[in-house]
Amino acid sequence: MSSFLKYISGIYTALKSLLIGLTVTWKELWTKKVTMQYPENRETLVISDRWRAELIMPHDDNNEHACTACGICMMNCPNGTINVISKMVETEEGKQKKALDKHIWDYGMCTYCNLCVITCPSDAIIFSNDFEGAVYNREKLVHQLNKEGSKLREKKKEPVAATPKPQPTAPKEPVTQKDEAPKASNDATDKAENKTDL
Amino acid sequence: MLLTYSQPLELTNVSKALDTFLKTYMADFWAYLIEFVIVGVAIIATYAIIALALIYIERKITAFFQARLGPNRLGKYGWIQSLADMVKILIKEIIHINNVDKFLFYTAPFFVIVASFLAFGAIPFGQGLQAVDFNIGVFYVTAVSSLGIIGILLAGWSSNNKYSMIGAMRSGAQFVSYELSGAFALMTIVVMSGTMQFSEMVEGQRYVWNIFNGHISSIIAFVIYMICGHAETNRGPFDLPEAESELTAGYHTEYSGLQFGFFYLAEYLNMFIIAAIATTVFLGGWMPVQIKGLDGFNQIMWYIPSWAWFVGKTGVLIFMSLWVRWSFPRLRIDHLLNLEWKYLLPINLVNILVMVIIVLAGLSLSDLFPKLFGI
Amino acid sequence: MAEQIIFYILAIVIVVFSILAVSSKLVIRSATYLLFVLIATAGLYLLLNFHYLFAVQIAVYAGGIMVLFIMAIFLTHKPGATMNQRMSWKVKSSAALAVSGLLISGYIIIKNVVKVAGYLKGDELSMQDLGHSMMGTQKYQYLLPFEVISVLLLACIVGAILIARKETGNDPKENVKDK
Repeated sequence: MSSFLKYISGIYTALKSLLIGLTVTWKELWTKKVTMQYPENRETLVISDRWRAELIMPHDDNNEHACTACGICMMNCPNGTINVISKMVETEEGKQKKALDKHIWDYGMCTYCNLCVITCPSDAIIFSNDFEGAVYNREKLVHQLNKEGSKLREKKKEPVAATPKPQPTAPKEPVTQKDEAPKASNDATDKAENKTDL
Repeated sequence: MLLTYSQPLELTNVSKALDTFLKTYMADFWAYLIEFVIVGVAIIATYAIIALALIYIERKITAFFQARLGPNRLGKYGWIQSLADMVKILIKEIIHINNVDKFLFYTAPFFVIVASFLAFGAIPFGQGLQAVDFNIGVFYVTAVSSLGIIGILLAGWSSNNKYSMIGAMRSGAQFVSYELSGAFALMTIVVMSGTMQFSEMVEGQRYVWNIFNGHISSIIAFVIYMICGHAETNRGPFDLPEAESELTAGYHTEYSGLQFGFFYLAEYLNMFIIAAIATTVFLGGWMPVQIKGLDGFNQIMWYIPSWAWFVGKTGVLIFMSLWVRWSFPRLRIDHLLNLEWKYLLPINLVNILVMVIIVLAGLSLSDLFPKLFGI
Repeated sequence: MAEQIIFYILAIVIVVFSILAVSSKLVIRSATYLLFVLIATAGLYLLLNFHYLFAVQIAVYAGGIMVLFIMAIFLTHKPGATMNQRMSWKVKSSAALAVSGLLISGYIIIKNVVKVAGYLKGDELSMQDLGHSMMGTQKYQYLLPFEVISVLLLACIVGAILIARKETGNDPKENVKDK
């Protein structure tokens, strides 16, 4: 007898849960549709800030950028999308200094992994969300990120910025960074030597 | 003539005018021959048009359930989309596969589509709008629609593909089991209405639909019939013969082009046939809503043509089928068979007994309130 | 005229596919040919206006038994393998049996065709009459055979359940474990 009652109550609970499921989908039927009708809604289209579409190098009003031509982005790029071409310029004090000549990024090879942006010590490059990058010609996919005649924004001199392990807190405390950075590079070389020993 | 004025939009007017026109100009034999051809062409055309419309409606409603918009590029609201798909499927290459049983492989799609054609022909679309009105209408439809499963089994076997074979076996087990409950559910209503003929059944539901007439028993039968209809057409939560994540496409994996189109068409039309039979048997078919005593109201209802009533009621049932389809997850095969053999079938048997008692004891609504619902 | 043409088409279909059904080397194809024979027979019933018989033929034979046949063939070992057909004494004797059966039943049909023809010309039986004759106890009503057949079917179902049932506590695997 108890098994029979179980059978009946099973049917009851099953029907109840099915009805609950149906009400859920019924409500879903009348919700606002999320489809974006792209070419038509171009004016009102909102793209998420996190969307990585095109690598750009922000320039300020004086046509100055923050890239020191350290080449970290080029080294970190997993498939060689970035090519940083540097040149030597002479400063006012007469010193020779490395500066950016061309920062070249190949749209067609980029996987949008964001490693270059994360590792850039001076936050010189970011991903914009301007996604309409289609062109008719493969050559047009190769972008030069720095504008013509642009130069490095004068801030503070960081000759050691080109170390393989930049510290995220570096800009705040330049003194400690100066001390630590060579140490870090030493550690790295030590490790490498150990490895070769083993 | 009276029909022309009181029901101006009825398609029967057209068919009667055609009949008299043909008979005045030629011998009866030739007139009948031409009429047969016209009826055949009309049925095939309706079949194709309904399939196209269903594919469009299904895609739209599915999209709405998933908070999408669905096809919207081709024409206003994308209504040309399924037409374009049809053209695509017609001009697609039929790929000839090695190592299949050629005879069975090419015959199988025809079984599926012919079975659905045969059932389609017996559906009453409107007043007098029925190709064949058998004495045994309900039985005929259940019988011929059972032929389709043979096509599915043969397709699965002859494809020489394990996925197809498993899909076909699942489909076979599922169809054979659920056909039983579906037929029993219809039988419950046959007990009440006392006829198997579709036209008489519709006439009998003039003032009260069968689903209300037998109250408890009818509603249970209706629910069971809809569940079984879903299972028979391999749709909704019962689509495990073509569970794409495990069996690619089930029994029609190896088919391409128009042969696949046959399976596709038959699947959609079977959905329509199930809804149409449920409409006719449970929801009063093409009969407009009538209230005994209110002649003026009844006359206004008759101005809406009977085929429109039929399409409307069927449409509601098709919407329900889609609603169920997008609400519930797919069943596992043992759960599926449990549902049939341990729940639906015993409930059905008890239900028939209850219905017999209701009919014999005069407990149906038309017996209890003859002034309101009796014919 | 039209009826005769349809009859001859159906008759040819029945004869051709019957021969193909017994001569085909693939089991599954034999089953399909048999299915065509059954459907064509149903067509004959339809031609005679026996709608009920037509639906029974389709539902029970074509839709029910053939599906079971095909499923059973699926479950056999290598269902597509060809049979080796040798003219052994088995084949010969079964052919002789079939021919003698054909002769006997053909003789009976030809002898009695006049008596049966009377029924054929009648109008279509109504479902009510059919139901009453199946469930009635008067003359020409067949409640007893109907019930006896249903008892037979019930016995078959019970037997099938008994075979398919899992024996609890008597599992051969457990016995192996004990040893």
